[in-house]
Amino acid sequence: MKTEEPIDLNEIIHQPVRLRIMTLLVSQSGDSRLTYSFIQTNLGLTGGNLTTHLRKLEDAGYLQIDKEFHNQKPRTWIQATPIGRQAFAEYYANLQKVLGW
Amino acid sequence: MFTNNPTHQSRDPMINQDNNPDSFTPEASLSAIHNTMSQAQSSMYLAGTATILLVWGAIMALGYLAEYTINALASDFADSNPWYHAPLWGGLVIIGMVASSIIGSRATKNFADAATARKAGLKVFTFWISVAAAAWLIPALSGLWANGATAEHTAGVAIGIVSLGYVLFGLMSRPVISILGVGIAAAFYVPNHFAGDTAYAITAILMLILVVVAAIWLRKSGIQ
Repeated sequence: MKTEEPIDLNEIIHQPVRLRIMTLLVSQSGDSRLTYSFIQTNLGLTGGNLTTHLRKLEDAGYLQIDKEFHNQKPRTWIQATPIGRQAFAEYYANLQKVLGW
Repeated sequence: MFTNNPTHQSRDPMINQDNNPDSFTPEASLSAIHNTMSQAQSSMYLAGTATILLVWGAIMALGYLAEYTINALASDFADSNPWYHAPLWGGLVIIGMVASSIIGSRATKNFADAATARKAGLKVFTFWISVAAAAWLIPALSGLWANGATAEHTAGVAIGIVSLGYVLFGLMSRPVISILGVGIAAAFYVPNHFAGDTAYAITAILMLILVVVAAIWLRKSGIQ
């Protein structure tokens, strides 16, 4: 009998909130950046919750956070790094394998 | 760790094999990815929509009130200069297009960098400019203008096309905009059929109410 090969899903990305954050970021083209408020509004998260998950993804090197001033107001920009895009692509490929696609 | 054997999956589609609520099942993950992608895209397209709807509500109300006023107070002028509809609506539509572009562009820049914002804005602009062009060209090319159709008939065709535009845009973004499209059509056709001379005034009021309600609805769902 053929045994199934276990497949690892990246645990950092597999968490529901982080998965949706990464999806938002990688669905934009190459060097596109999104604002903190766009991510927060789209995912319906509290500031504290979003910040915690962004920090985890940043620590893993999957995204880059930049704080800038626009019209004297602070604005936080978030962008997926090439490592993050690669990790997401691998996660997505593994997800398809798990689902038998 | 996961295998591609479906018997290893939990019965609850949202909980994984380890019964850890902090993690999705693979099916739920895939579904979350697709839902998030489509929601992000429609949110980008809807940047500034609530404010833009208010602008168009004001423009439509102004246009129909002007039509009603001209017909009521200067009917001789209206009869001898039937061309006045074109500059009236042409001017209002141009003002609306320019205002919408500025509002949409500013709103999208609060969401994403300039290049991403421009790309989303261009798609929305192209969609609406096509709807506006169709609303002008179809009555003209179908011979309505040349064959001396009444302003009501020409406006009826144009409003139908604009309403269809709202319905299609709503199907790509939020259903409330499709409902608004149907409402706009009803706000024009029903008074024109039943209200006689006061039809344009009623249409103006109904359209303003519809657009304000839709804008409030969108704002409550996080669309500015």
